[in-house]
Amino acid sequence: MIGDGIADRARKAFAEGRRLVAPLMGFPGIELTGSNIKVAQQNYGEHFKILKRLADRFSPDIIFPLMDLSIEANAMGRYTIFPRRDSATVPRDCFLLEEIDRFRDINISFDSRVLGYVETQKLMHIGLPPHILKAAYVTGPYTVAALIMGSQEAAVATIGNRSDLGLLCEVATGKILQYVRLLAAAGADGIVVLEPSAAMLGPAQFEEFSAAYVKAITAACRHNGVDTILHICGNTTHLVRSMAGSGVSGISLDSSEAGVDIEAVAASLPEDVVVIGNVNPTTTMLRGRPEDVRMEVRKLLDSMERHPNFVLSTGCDLPQETPLANIEAFMEAGREERRPAERKGRCEGRQVQEAYPE
Amino acid sequence: MDIFEGIITAIGKGDAPSVAALTRDALAKGIPAEDILNKGYLAGMNIVGRLFKANEIFIPEVLIAAQAMKAGMAILKPILAASKVKSAGKIVIGTVQGDLHDIGKNIVSMLLEGAGFEVIDLGCDVSKQKFVETVEKESPDILGMSALLTTTMTYMRDIIQCLESAGVRKAVKVIVGGAPVTQTYADEIAADGYARDAASAVELVRSLVAP
Repeated sequence: MIGDGIADRARKAFAEGRRLVAPLMGFPGIELTGSNIKVAQQNYGEHFKILKRLADRFSPDIIFPLMDLSIEANAMGRYTIFPRRDSATVPRDCFLLEEIDRFRDINISFDSRVLGYVETQKLMHIGLPPHILKAAYVTGPYTVAALIMGSQEAAVATIGNRSDLGLLCEVATGKILQYVRLLAAAGADGIVVLEPSAAMLGPAQFEEFSAAYVKAITAACRHNGVDTILHICGNTTHLVRSMAGSGVSGISLDSSEAGVDIEAVAASLPEDVVVIGNVNPTTTMLRGRPEDVRMEVRKLLDSMERHPNFVLSTGCDLPQETPLANIEAFMEAGREERRPAERKGRCEGRQVQEAYPE
Repeated sequence: MDIFEGIITAIGKGDAPSVAALTRDALAKGIPAEDILNKGYLAGMNIVGRLFKANEIFIPEVLIAAQAMKAGMAILKPILAASKVKSAGKIVIGTVQGDLHDIGKNIVSMLLEGAGFEVIDLGCDVSKQKFVETVEKESPDILGMSALLTTTMTYMRDIIQCLESAGVRKAVKVIVGGAPVTQTYADEIAADGYARDAASAVELVRSLVAP
């Protein structure tokens, strides 16, 4: 990592009266290049082109690549679908426990798609401005296990077949670590662990089948001087303590409509864990107007005023169709000067302007 | 412990073999199938639903409970059909095109079946055409759509528009659900209802088919 990590940058920004602004916005970049998801997720040059356009246009404080939950499971030999207009997916397929031994023998560091994403990361490191933190995604251990075993089967296994599920999570973590080491070496400033399947677990299940393994990932990242962020979509209110306790630098949270009160979460956690989120990616960013975006961003920033460890972002990945004008509104509102005295003066000034229009 | 309490407990524990065994016992004792359904399965799932809403149990526990109930339904269903017990209503359900997530949809299907509904589960990655054709063919009371991705939930709007074009929109109530779906989105696409979770989905379906 060049310079400070995310926590230090967030605090520095706060001290300067501003916030880090970093929407999860890989897919809308496709609209800037005329490409499509299938090409972008398999051609690292196209992928980088998209991220470069996003960086040039919006200059976020952190840039995230296109989300792709299929990488690790695909590298382990699981059947994967590559739609033209949607992200690659790993559908439910036959899985036998005996396959776990075969998974152990596969070193995914040599997988062509893994290497493609590593190349994207290298291009991000050398081709994007140094002031933008470059993040990489990996799929979380429980989610990889759920993709391999079947999400329903994995959920049931958290109660009825814990040892086999634990074994699969352990093997998945080994693969994820192979990928993490390559990404760190390629220049990633942060690794975002995507664990969407874990949202349905209870706290004890989450500790046993996700957090316990995420800790190994965060330790590896720390060893490589790289931040980690844990992102789980959906209502994770019941999991935030465990998420924060898994050694991550930050947790990324879904929107208030998903059930997350981000201010309450921030108030309940130590300040050394960065809290990231949580403008609604669909109702507001996809289907709202720019003024709706500005309103939600300002309201969120107001509510998080007393938390130096907050990074403004979206609650989840933005869909490709997100209007670019909405992303612009998000960035502008996020970058408005936030010092309390100046903000009060600006509000009063606005009231005067409205009362006495020129 | 009476037999209904036994079924309720077994469902709560996700003990499918016990639910099946107790169901056979109950039938052998001459207890009507409808009573087993209402006082055993539905009562058990109602408790599960309450505990889930209170965040005391989570999806894995709900799943095993629903699977245990399903084990009993496999025995009860033919008997209910033979005794011409009227179904509570008919629902067609599926996860939209491009989306392979189905846990929530599967739990809803199991709960609705346990609640006495006839459920036609189309699975996942269901095309617009398939939804519309099935509605035309089956004339369900409810069409339920699930999506777990922001990129696929937009198909819900398309499907409702296809139902309009096919002239069947007014004949069916449409409900939607899934992680990125919200009440606001449901209102925007003119769905008839939105359910945040599986237990709410059952209540919603009951309210929509109530006379």
